[in-house]
Amino acid sequence: MAYVATRGGERAIEQSQRLFKAEMGAITPERVAETRRAMPYLVDRVMGEASLYDEDLAALALAQTGGELYETILLLRSWRTTQPRLAVADPVTQEGLFTHRRISAAFKDIPGGQLLGPTLDYAHRILATEVLTGTPHVPTLVTPAPHPAPAQQPSVAAWQAENDLLNLPNPDTTAGNDIPDVTREPLLFPAKRAHTLQSLARAETGGVLALGYAAQRGYGQAHPTVNELRLAEAEINVTHPRGTKFSAGRVKISQAEVVSKKGSQLELGFAATMGWNEVKVIAAATLDLNSAGAPKGSATEEEFYLYHTEGVESSGFCIHFKLPHYVTFQSSLDAMRDAKAKQAEPAE
Amino acid sequence: MSLKSLTKAWEPMSYGFLDASAKREIRRKMLKAIAVPGCQIPYASREVPMARGWGTGGLQISCTLLNPKTTIKVIDQGADDSVNAASIRRFLAGVSGAPTTTDTLKADLIQSRHRIPEEILREDQVLVLQVPNPEPLRPVQPNMSIARQMHADADYGRMWLQLYEQIVRSGRVMQGASYPSLVNGRFVMTPSPIPRWDVPKMHMAKHLTILSAGREKRLHAVPPFTKVEPLVFDDVPYKVEDHGAHVCTRSGAKGYFMNEIPQDDGPSTFEVSDSELGVKSIHRADGEAVQIGETWYKNGEMTE
Amino acid sequence: MQTPAPSDFETQTNATYDALMWALSRPGMARKLPVAGQASLIAALIDRECAIFSDDVHLMQIAAQAGAQIVAQNDADHLFLSATPDPSILSVLRQGTDIYPEDGATLVMPAVIGHGMALRLTGPGVDGAVSIKIDGIPDAFWTARRDVMRYPMGFDIFIIDQDQIIGIPRSTAIEVL
Repeated sequence: MAYVATRGGERAIEQSQRLFKAEMGAITPERVAETRRAMPYLVDRVMGEASLYDEDLAALALAQTGGELYETILLLRSWRTTQPRLAVADPVTQEGLFTHRRISAAFKDIPGGQLLGPTLDYAHRILATEVLTGTPHVPTLVTPAPHPAPAQQPSVAAWQAENDLLNLPNPDTTAGNDIPDVTREPLLFPAKRAHTLQSLARAETGGVLALGYAAQRGYGQAHPTVNELRLAEAEINVTHPRGTKFSAGRVKISQAEVVSKKGSQLELGFAATMGWNEVKVIAAATLDLNSAGAPKGSATEEEFYLYHTEGVESSGFCIHFKLPHYVTFQSSLDAMRDAKAKQAEPAE
Repeated sequence: MSLKSLTKAWEPMSYGFLDASAKREIRRKMLKAIAVPGCQIPYASREVPMARGWGTGGLQISCTLLNPKTTIKVIDQGADDSVNAASIRRFLAGVSGAPTTTDTLKADLIQSRHRIPEEILREDQVLVLQVPNPEPLRPVQPNMSIARQMHADADYGRMWLQLYEQIVRSGRVMQGASYPSLVNGRFVMTPSPIPRWDVPKMHMAKHLTILSAGREKRLHAVPPFTKVEPLVFDDVPYKVEDHGAHVCTRSGAKGYFMNEIPQDDGPSTFEVSDSELGVKSIHRADGEAVQIGETWYKNGEMTE
Repeated sequence: MQTPAPSDFETQTNATYDALMWALSRPGMARKLPVAGQASLIAALIDRECAIFSDDVHLMQIAAQAGAQIVAQNDADHLFLSATPDPSILSVLRQGTDIYPEDGATLVMPAVIGHGMALRLTGPGVDGAVSIKIDGIPDAFWTARRDVMRYPMGFDIFIIDQDQIIGIPRSTAIEVL
C-alpha cells in the first residue's frame, strides 16, 4: 500500500501527546492543591479568561497543561461550555463589594480613603536568589491598621456624578435570564453593552494590554486617568426555586474606572473581570473609554478590539497555520504559473 | 420545585459532547442557513476540546448531526490519514460511538477541510466543510459590520473590481482556493478554501453542504440543487487548476486534483489528493474487486 | 474517555432534526418524524433563547416548560399553530432584516399531505420542479406568502400531517395549479 495507513497518523498523535506529558510527571491532587496555593494570581487570570470561577478546576487545568496558558484556557472553556445554566445571580453592586484594595489616581484622597491593599506596586523587584541556595523566603506578618477600613465603599464615579462632573450611564434594568450572554449567542455589532463588558472580562490579558497600551500611547483619542481601581470580593446571591435567597459564595473580582475630559464633562470607561488582574481591567477600561466614535478599523473600535483580544480564537487561529495547507498552496501555485506563462506569451 | 429539577442527571459528558442547548441553537441556525442559501448565519459557537481554527466549526455541526448509526468520514486536504483528520475522526467516534469509514460511498456524514471528494455525493449525504474565514468580502472589507451591510445590499461591486484588477495586472483571476461564488443568484459566499477544481461540484449538487466557521461564529449552507456560480466575467471563463492531464505516480489515477511532490533531482511528481480514491485505484490495479463511485470529473473534465 | 450513550431525548430530537433538515433542504419532499405532532419539534428546537407563539394551550405549555418566552404572533421566532391561520397573519410575521434575514420566523402548522390542492414548487433544493398536494391551506395563503415576502427576508414553513413533514423555505417559489 503506497498511502500511509490511517493508523499511522493516530499513532503519531498518541506519541506526541505522551512526549508533551512526559516532562510533567504525574498530576496528583497534591500538585493541583499546591498550584492553587502557590499561584493565586495565575489562577485568577485563568479563571477570568476562562469565564469559570473555580480555583480547583483552574489549578487542575494549569497542572494538566504544564502552564501552557492558551491550552489551559481552552481546556476550561470547553469544559464550561457544556455545563447547564442553573440560575442567574443577583446583580453585584459596587457598594456591596467587600473591598480589599481601592485606589484613585484622580484625587489625592477620596471619600472612603485610598486603600492600598495587597500590591507589589512599590516593591523593589529583586529576585530572591537566596531561596535557591537554601534560605526560604518567608513572608513577614502583616501588621493590622489600628482602624480597619470600611469593607464597602461607593465608587468614585458616583461621587463625581453627584458633583456634576460626570454623567453616569443609565442603569441597565435588564434582569435575570434576559441579560444577554455572549457565551450563548453570537457577538454582533454594534455590540450589546453586556456583550462588550463580558467579552472584555474574558479577553486574553496580553491582547487587551497590547491594544489598550496602543490607545494609551496615542492611538486612542482619550488619555485615561485611573478614577478608581478596585480589587474586591463579590457575594453571589441566588434565588432558590422555593423562593429563598442564599449566598452561593464569594468570588474575587477586579474593576477599573478610567476617565477623560470631554468638554465640560468627564467621560467614563469601565471594565471588570473575575479574579484579581489589574493590568487587564485598566487596559480594558481604556479601550472602553476610547470606543465611542472610534474610526472603523482602528485599534479602539469595538469590533476590532473585541475580535482580536479573544484568546481562544486568536491563539487557535495562530497555531492553525501549522496544519497542512498544501491544497490551497497548490491552487495558488497553479494560478501563479498560469499567469507567468501568459506573461511569457508574445503579445497578440 | 427543587434545585435538582432545574438541571439534568449528571453525566460525565453529553452525547456528542455538545449539550442539548448548544445543539438546539445550532439546529435552529442550520435551518435558517438552508432557508437562505449562502447567507452567513451567526451562531454562538461553543468552545470544543480542540483549538479554534482546527475544525471547531465543522466539529460542532458534526456533533449536532451524528447519532450511533451515522457513518462518518473525515478528511483534511483530501486525506483520511492526515493527523488532524485522524484526530477529529477519533473525537467524533469517541463522543458518539458512530462508525467511521474512509470510503466516500459508505459515509453518511463527511467532515472535510479544503476538499470535496472526487466521487459524486448522493442525495442522502451531508458534507460539512470547515471554514477558516466565512467572509468572501474580507479582502476588500475587513470590517465585518460593513461587509454584512454590503451583503444586505447585494453590493458586490468592489469584489468584481478586485477580480477585474487581477485580470488587468496578471492576465487572469489570481484567486487560488476559496473562489468567491454566487449562491442562488443572491449571496456571494466563500466555498471554504477548496481548490477551484472543487467549486463546480457544489453547483446543483445532490448532497447538502453545511459550511461552518467556529472561530468566526458563522455558518452557511448550500442545499441540494442550488446554483453555485463562481464570479467570472463573460469573456474570461472560470478556470480550474490545470491538473486534468496529471497522472498519480502511486495509483495511476488520472484526471483528478493532485498533490505536487517536488523531487530532489528535478521537476515534480504528482499523487492524487483524494487519498481514498488513490487507495481504491491501487486496489483496482492489483486486481481486487473495489467499488469506485461515479466521479464528478471524467478524463480531467467536469461533467455536466 | 468513555463513549456516552444517547438518552431517549437525544435520540428522538436528533431524528426529529434530521427530518426537519432534510424537509427544508428538499422542499416538497415529505419526511418522517420519529414521533407524530408538533411537540417533537419543540423538543428539538426550543429553549429559553426562543420566543414562541402558539394557539394550542398544550403546545404553549410544552414550550414554556422548555423555557421559551410566550409572545404575540408578530414577535415570535417560532409559531406552532393548530390550524391554517388566516392569511392576514403572514403580513405580521417576523421576516428578519436585510442585515439579519435569519431573524425571520419559522411557522409550523398542520395540513393534509397528499390530497387536495396541487402546488408546483421551484427553487433551491428542488430538482427542476416538484408538484405536491396539500389539503386545508387556501389559495389565498400562498398568494399572501408570495406578496408579503421580500427575499432574502421572509419566513419558513413546516407543514405537518401526523408524522409526515414538508418544509417550505422562503427561497421556494410556489405556484398554485
